[in-house]
Amino acid sequence: MLSKFDYVKPQLLTEALNYLEENDGTRILAGGTDLMIMLRHNADTPKHILDIKAIPEMNLLENRINEGMFIGACITVNQVAESKAIIDKYPALVQAANYLASYQLRNRATLVGNICNASPGADLAAPLMVYDAKVHIASAEGTRTVDINSFFTGVKRTVLKRNELVIGVTLPEVSEGDNSIFLKQARIKGHDLAIVGVTARITADKKVRLAITAVAPTPISIEKLEETLSNQPLTEEIADMAGKEVRNIIKPISDVRSSADYRLHVAGVLVKRALLYLAAMGGK
Amino acid sequence: MCEKHNNEGNCFSHVESGLKAVEINCTVNGEEVCAYIDPTMTLLNFLRRELKLFGTKEGCGEGECGACTIIMNNAPVNSCIILALEAIGAKITTVEGLSNNGKMSILQREFISHDALQCGFCTPGMLMSARALLDRNQNPNEKEIKEAIAGNFCRCTGYVPIINAITETARLEREGIKNEC
Repeated sequence: MLSKFDYVKPQLLTEALNYLEENDGTRILAGGTDLMIMLRHNADTPKHILDIKAIPEMNLLENRINEGMFIGACITVNQVAESKAIIDKYPALVQAANYLASYQLRNRATLVGNICNASPGADLAAPLMVYDAKVHIASAEGTRTVDINSFFTGVKRTVLKRNELVIGVTLPEVSEGDNSIFLKQARIKGHDLAIVGVTARITADKKVRLAITAVAPTPISIEKLEETLSNQPLTEEIADMAGKEVRNIIKPISDVRSSADYRLHVAGVLVKRALLYLAAMGGK
Repeated sequence: MCEKHNNEGNCFSHVESGLKAVEINCTVNGEEVCAYIDPTMTLLNFLRRELKLFGTKEGCGEGECGACTIIMNNAPVNSCIILALEAIGAKITTVEGLSNNGKMSILQREFISHDALQCGFCTPGMLMSARALLDRNQNPNEKEIKEAIAGNFCRCTGYVPIINAITETARLEREGIKNEC
């Protein structure tokens, strides 16, 4: 590593926020599964490393009345995958969590880290988007809450300002009969980013939600299709139509993992497959 | 003089970044450790360079191959992408901690009797992933074993003997043979 950094691990959120405010060139360390690789490759040479794992608020995973499921910034992907409450209510999130890298990595990687890293293929982003998760952001100046659907601004870019950090996300409460599915195409399971990741959700009142990763600079909601799909019963013909239509909406690129053509094809297949699954399962 | 390693120099002075050394306290294989280390050092380097625990290997160095897997606070993790400082106060087990007074654990013996290794480079990490699995699930099925070692790459044997060795270990441990050796 070329980096020469101070390492601080505050116990209080206010300490962390003040440190962030006062020190330019600070990187936040939670699981470190992205940051450490950047440091190793000298792709990032921060002057300060702020370890947030000792901050109590960041380690909460709890159901909050009238708000929903709060997932703190230090909650690991395995904690999400093993949480009974999340398994019961947000199946797509658990499926995505179980599909992310390896078991060892999931013991360190955090859900919030996955979205803050803001990879276009972030596995956990699409499940959060179909549930309209709220991102709680804090700085020394105060706090604000941003909808996950407006959190990403570009490749590896988010709405976070230099002096801000994410405390956690909240998944709004779901009603009985809500269901969702996460499907990912990758060259091999785990260890690779998605070629395409599709998440579909059907709400208790039969509204369909659809979000896709790795087909645009950020994970995206397919709002155009959501509207069409929500206004009619989910049949095989409709699923087929959606699978074809999605190819006209997304504009993926070619890269080391896949050609744009293959991405278009797979996105269509996965959208259809996800919708057929939801149609067959109904609300669970 | 470092008595533990019979080394003329001080084993705890390997500083690359030039930054001031910082104190780290943790428990490694049941032994409390206190050292002054380079703040940019990874946990893997701390184990190998400072503690001279050479069992844990560095493969890819980016959390892909699993050769550096250790058990930290009861969870298997990739020590190559963790800062040593993050382990302050942690309870760590490396492959050296599996044996007891020089006697191999049942897991290690089953790996040998199933020929579950050739070059042996992946073995320490494989053993730690397997140990962590058996600690949380005494009767894992094949799918669960595969999932648990999916983050450990073996390029020699193929995985079948490894899976068999873990399955057999689970059976023996369930039958209480673990306590007899």
